[in-house]
Amino acid sequence: MARDTEVLVLGGGSTGCGIARDLAMRGLEVTLVERGNLTDGTTGRMHGLLHSGGRYAVSDQASATECIEENEILRDIAGHCVEETGGLFVQRPEDSDEYFREKLEGCRECGIPARVLSGAEAREVEPYLAEDVKRAIEVPDGAVDPFRLCVANAIGAENHGARVETHAEVIDLLREGDDIYGVEVRHESGPGKRTHATPGATEEITADYVVNATGAWAGQIGAMADLEVEVRPSKGVMTIMNVRQVDTVINRCRPKGDADIVVPHETTAILGTTDEEVSDPDDYPEEGWEVDQMIDTLSELVPILEEARTIRSFWGVRPLYEPPGTGTQDPTDITRDFFLLDHTDRDGVSGMSSIVGGKFTTYRAMAEEISDHVCEKLGVTAGCATADEPLPGSENIETLEAGMDDFGLRSPVARRSKQRLGSRASEVLETDDANPVICQCEGVTRAEIRDAVSQSGSDLNAVRIRTRASMGNCQGGFCCQNMANELHPTYDEETVRASLDELFQERWKGERHALWGEQLSQAMLNYALHATTMNRDRDPASAEAAVDFAAFDGGGR
Amino acid sequence: MSDAEQPTDDGVPGDDEFEPIQVFPEAEDMDLRPGADDCYKCSTCDTNCPVAEVDDEFPGPKFQGPEQWRLKRQDDRDIDDSVMKCSNCMRCDSACPSDVPLSQMHNTARGEYVEEQMEKFSREYVRNRILANYRRLAPLGSMFPRTTNFVMGLSATQWLGEKVLGITGEREFPEFATETFREWWTARGGAQVRNEDKRIAYFHGCYSNYNTPEVGKALVRVYEHLGYEIMVPDQHCSGTPMFANGMLEDARRSAETNVRELGAAIADGADIVASCSSCSMSLRQEYPELFDFEGTEEVAANTWDAVEYLRVHEDLEGELEGTSVGDEFENFAYHAPCHARNQGLDGQTMEVLAPIDGVEARDVGDSCSGISGTYGWKAENYETSMKIGDEMFDHMEDADAETGLTECPTCSMQMEHGTGYEITHTLEVLEAALVGTEADSQ
Repeated sequence: MARDTEVLVLGGGSTGCGIARDLAMRGLEVTLVERGNLTDGTTGRMHGLLHSGGRYAVSDQASATECIEENEILRDIAGHCVEETGGLFVQRPEDSDEYFREKLEGCRECGIPARVLSGAEAREVEPYLAEDVKRAIEVPDGAVDPFRLCVANAIGAENHGARVETHAEVIDLLREGDDIYGVEVRHESGPGKRTHATPGATEEITADYVVNATGAWAGQIGAMADLEVEVRPSKGVMTIMNVRQVDTVINRCRPKGDADIVVPHETTAILGTTDEEVSDPDDYPEEGWEVDQMIDTLSELVPILEEARTIRSFWGVRPLYEPPGTGTQDPTDITRDFFLLDHTDRDGVSGMSSIVGGKFTTYRAMAEEISDHVCEKLGVTAGCATADEPLPGSENIETLEAGMDDFGLRSPVARRSKQRLGSRASEVLETDDANPVICQCEGVTRAEIRDAVSQSGSDLNAVRIRTRASMGNCQGGFCCQNMANELHPTYDEETVRASLDELFQERWKGERHALWGEQLSQAMLNYALHATTMNRDRDPASAEAAVDFAAFDGGGR
Repeated sequence: MSDAEQPTDDGVPGDDEFEPIQVFPEAEDMDLRPGADDCYKCSTCDTNCPVAEVDDEFPGPKFQGPEQWRLKRQDDRDIDDSVMKCSNCMRCDSACPSDVPLSQMHNTARGEYVEEQMEKFSREYVRNRILANYRRLAPLGSMFPRTTNFVMGLSATQWLGEKVLGITGEREFPEFATETFREWWTARGGAQVRNEDKRIAYFHGCYSNYNTPEVGKALVRVYEHLGYEIMVPDQHCSGTPMFANGMLEDARRSAETNVRELGAAIADGADIVASCSSCSMSLRQEYPELFDFEGTEEVAANTWDAVEYLRVHEDLEGELEGTSVGDEFENFAYHAPCHARNQGLDGQTMEVLAPIDGVEARDVGDSCSGISGTYGWKAENYETSMKIGDEMFDHMEDADAETGLTECPTCSMQMEHGTGYEITHTLEVLEAALVGTEADSQ
């Protein structure tokens, strides 16, 4: 029977998109389906650390070695997603010297460049470190934008002929006897680019091979075909600071613990994290004390955090996995390694493998290994090229940047825009039309918004992850409606309104965890502005009953 | 510390090793990103910015300050050149409901821009350096005041100033006095009153020394009349024109001298008073925001505006009750300088003058005069400066008065330039009411 596609990848996170691009580049026909937006699961809910491997240099040297290898590859192939910040493992007076030494030795054993700085030297690098920090180990940690990286992989896959469907939830695995041959998906607004307020449809997509790359949701997918995938989702909280207090990744140099990392991320800094097992990756408590405790603990390292403004907090769910029978109690002890579960070998069910565990930094290596496995299954001999082929946006960045002007933009806006767009900057920003700044906090112009809309349809959250518009200190208070305005007239009023509502809801989801101090003032100002200028407190357009406009006079005297 | 705690691995510096760390970071290297935390983007600063009001190209203080700082990374070296369009009136500071350190952000960004991006041999740099360092040139002009005034008044000189340096030829250079305030002070034998309990150190600044010594003399007579011992310490420019031109190194050198000399006066039991509202603003706000010399905070905390000081420490209203001035003063059109407004002193002159017979002051509103020190002297800013000033000129002309009154030297230049009125300083009126005019006393 002819199948719709050769390989069907489930899950639009870093792993799924990485696999889709890898296989598409090898010449396979690939379809990827994702329940929500790209990165909606775990990828979009990480702290943005590009590991040097230093973090695992004592506890898990295999992972550490793999991290430093992939770290170096991503700097080359994903330059526009990576910021080479460097990182420090900082020792406070109460932290163990023994562990500091082990960390340093571990780094060297794993080939991670590491240099010891005195407390004073560390403070010269990062002036906001606590005055009493003792020493630090400098390693090549970096910052990575998971949204941009994931989207670039998806674009790369599409450029090689792949079909990428977002807002297409898998509602069933198609199984005949002991063979899985596809899935049934529900398109929220029909196949293709998302258009709000368009009626949905279901579709059966058949494939020669299915890759279950749904991470923390892999167990739920498996269950649709009566397969047991023992994923152990574990939540962690991350808090976004309004500004960068540090420009280097700051790790606490101690064995393990919650709240031990600050990652500079674009205009912000992200504090992380905690580790607590949850039963349902879609439904777990998000509690204020988790945020408070993290800020308190990290203030020992960077005291200015105590009084600094946070703009939102979010929780991510790690797709931890351990082979049946390992029986680890504490989720922090579960390995960060990844596992390829071939259901033929495990369950006697052919046609599908599941991929669980793993971490963002090594997504490319995971994708390569899984793609090799799929090729072997399908009898394809093409090799992997993702370690050398730059992602779309990262081709010849340095040469291009040197030749770029500021596109008539104010210098910090031009700088951030060029950084986000990489080698696509000229193509996107060179325009004869007026190009005003739409998002002032992040310096995003109309041209960049329009470029994102052309990629993702009426979905403003998809525009957000591509551009960072609405991700700054006002959390969209001043720009969401202007972003929505760019959807019109391509999309009608009802569609634009639905998309705007969705963006507001998403912004509010994280901001509600930051409602004290300045961010509370911000939220109140946003509320007042939206209520008084857009009727958003009691919008007649969203009322049940139609507005009786005839009851109003014509406004004449 | 036990042996185990001693760093043993290779190349780890010990705690006792010499670490060359700059104790006071350069102002232009300060990281003010955390200041952006206070901004919730209400845009009140933008609506209060007089430059943004008349110049659509100027992005306004919200962008210049918190937005630009927030978008910045440690290794970013470029500042948007629009920062040079900010006139440093500092209205944004008082407008902000959330204490964003706006002018501090502008000052440091401007300093960084001038340091890193401005061509040091460019006409703009040379011109700005000259304007910012007016105090260094003034003694030369002051040496032969009549000749200088004659030469500076020549249209050829003004034409040259505009063509060669970009200093507007529309304005007339202020005249140098034939005797500076300090020359007068020395000639009269310094302080005439000795009083251990009431002692002030006068920060006269450049303008009342070289150009309007009558303001300084008025201050001396008023304060001595009220029993104060006056000290006149050595001093440099307050730094205001240097901040406004991004010349932070020049400002640092001047501030170092001022803090040292004024600090010594404070140690001698004096409080600092200034007759120029920009000078007092600089000592009180900008010094502690930008510099970290020993005593900076103390000088800031003990500096006053000269009239404010008397209102707090004396019963000035009582003293003025029933006093009168003669025909030498007409009614005044009073303009409160932005830098007085920022210190909360914008209503002061009106209240102080109320009990004096024979003179009425009309407040001409809360607009900015538009000159903002050296800003309106630059050819490229002249038109903007006059557009900003329009509202004040209109109100002056509408007011029932034929002369102007203000506490700021450059506001007075602008008032005179826009209306042709003669401009007086509040202290001169107080002098006439309390002591009588100079002519009376001789």
